[in-house]
Order: sequence, then structure tokens, then C-alpha cells
Amino acid sequence: MSLYLLWRDDTGNRLRFQLELEFVQCLANPNYLNFLAQRGYFKDKAFVNYLKYLLYWKEPEYAKYLKYPQCLHMLELLQYEHFRKELVNAQCAKFIDEQQILHWQHYSRKRMRLQQALAEQQQQNNASVK
Amino acid sequence: MAVVDLLTTYFICCRSVLVRELIEILAISRNQKLPQAGEESQILELLIQRDGEFQELMKLAVDQGKIHHEMQLLEKVVEKRDNDIQQLQKQLKEAEHILATAVYQAKEKLKSIEKARKGAISSEEIIKYAHRISASNAVCAPLTWVPGDPRRPYPTDLEMRSGLLGQMNNPSTNGVNGHLPGDALAAGRLPDVLAPQYPWQSSDMSMNMLPPNHSNDFMLEPPGHNKENEDDVEVMSTDSSSSSSDSD
Repeated sequence: MSLYLLWRDDTGNRLRFQLELEFVQCLANPNYLNFLAQRGYFKDKAFVNYLKYLLYWKEPEYAKYLKYPQCLHMLELLQYEHFRKELVNAQCAKFIDEQQILHWQHYSRKRMRLQQALAEQQQQNNASVK
Repeated sequence: MAVVDLLTTYFICCRSVLVRELIEILAISRNQKLPQAGEESQILELLIQRDGEFQELMKLAVDQGKIHHEMQLLEKVVEKRDNDIQQLQKQLKEAEHILATAVYQAKEKLKSIEKARKGAISSEEIIKYAHRISASNAVCAPLTWVPGDPRRPYPTDLEMRSGLLGQMNNPSTNGVNGHLPGDALAAGRLPDVLAPQYPWQSSDMSMNMLPPNHSNDFMLEPPGHNKENEDDVEVMSTDSSSSSSDSD
């Protein structure tokens, strides 16, 4: 299938939108980034230019379609060559992964702590009433 | 007036010398009883002359003293004016500084107003968006999450393969994928079990959206062999054999 032809018509453009939407969000996956790095995609100038082109997803009218907005942060980091080089290491990807998951759990941990505090307070109130 | 004192002293000395001379000559002439009146009168005349000169010089000195006094007064006035000017200068400088600060701060405020106006979004939209990204656990972990749960804050391997990109590369691995992805989209026959979880397949909201136009400045190769898309589709095919799906 010639994807090039899709660039020229409206259906093609819509499809391109969907594809680019998917791809940019895949960049939130550090394992995928490691995969790309190890296969040398980050060394390709065309690919690097493509990553720069993808920065249009930062505009609000496009960003509102992103389910994983953290991909924008990864996209920004990917503009730097140093970061792209570092991603070849599996430990780097693992570290990013761990930090992402920890950050992801931030709010649920906070909520749990609040709930615990609330429960403790209630226990104290019950104890004092008795 | 020191000058006047000096002059006075000098002329007193001169006069005293002359007076002494006169007295000497008078004394001598009395003793000698000779007609030396010429000398006496000469000396007297000289004395008178000297006295006249002295008087003139005194007048001059007094005049000069007056002028000097006036000069001092004028100098004081000039000094006062200088101070006034310096004071005004200081005040002007201060005023300029304050105004410059005010103008600068006003400009900064205008900039931030402009920025805020540009980024204005209705609160409803923001709330809707926040709801969307939280409900799908994309930015906040599910409350029951434990290590070992396959859910992640990013699209996982499985999700990536099930998406449009993955399906374009693997046309034969799934019953739905016997068609071109465009067809699948148009027919709305995306796998239901995946649709609610993989948000980028909600075609209703993105149908009207178009990506920005771009020139072929990614250094793409000529049509028919689109290297960039090779990357997109090839990546997922680590375990599949359908590597011939790129354009030809």
C-alpha cells in the first residue's frame, strides 16, 4: 500500500492524523523508545526531523486529542541528541519506566494517605466518645 | 583689606624716610645757615607728590576692595544656583528611574495579559479533558494497582499492536484486518473489545481534525518507497513475517 498517496487527499490526511496521533503517544513508552534507539532510528536525520515536526501536538487544538499527554514531555526530551543517545541503554529506559510508574501512582498514594488519616481521626473520635 | 594695609605700611615707611631726610636737611641747613632751600623744597615737593600718589593708590585699593566684595557675593549666588541645578538633576533622575520601572512593569503585565488571552480555554473543556485522561487511568494509576498489573501510564505493546499503526503492518493476523485500515475506519468495524480501552480509535472526535501540512523535508525518498512509514509500520513487526506491507 502506498502511504505516500494518502498524503494527497483528505481521507489520507485524516488517516495520517490518526497514525500520527498513535505514534506520538507511543513515544510515552520508554521501552518503545529503547527499541527505536537500539535499532538506530534516532540516528536517521529524517526521523529526527520527523520528531521535530511532531511538536505540533503541543498546540492546544491538537493536544486535546492526546490520552497520554506525558508523551509530549518525552517528545520534547527527544529533541535533544544527548537524550536520544542515552536511550540506547536498557537501564536508562528502565529507570524512566520506574519513575513514570511511581509518578503515575502519586495521586492514588495521596488519596490512600488521606483516607488513612481520615480513618485514624474517626477512630480517635470514637475512642474519645467512649 | 590686607592689600590696603600693606600699601599703607609701605607708604608710611616711604614717608617716614622722606620725613627723616627732610628733618636731617633742615637740621643741617640750620647749622650751616646756607641757602639750600632748593633741596628742601625739592624734598617737600617729592613728599607732596608721594603723598598724592599714595592717596590715589588708596582710593584704587578701596575700589578694588569693593569690587572684590561684590565678586564674592556673586560667587555665593552662583554656588547657590549650582546647588539648585544639582538638586533638580537628582530629582529628574529619580523621576526617570521611577517612570522607567513603571513602564517596564506595565509592559511585563501586558505581555502576561496577552499570553493569558492567547491560552484562554473554557473551563468546561478543561474539565472534560481532565475527566477523559483520568477515567482511562492514563495519568493516574487505578486504585487497585499492584506490581504485576499489566496496566501502564503509556500505551503498552499490546495496545500498540492493536492500534492503527500495528494493524497496518499486520493485515493478516486479525479477522477484521483483511481490509485496508481506511476501510476498517470507514466501516466502523474496529474491534469492540479494544475500542473503549484504546482511545485513539474514537473516530468520531478526530474525523474533522487534520494534521498540519508539511513539505517533504524529512528527506523522504521518492514516492513509492516511503522510508518514514517503513519505520512506523516496521517497528511492530518484531515477531511477524509480514515485512512486505510497505509501499511499492
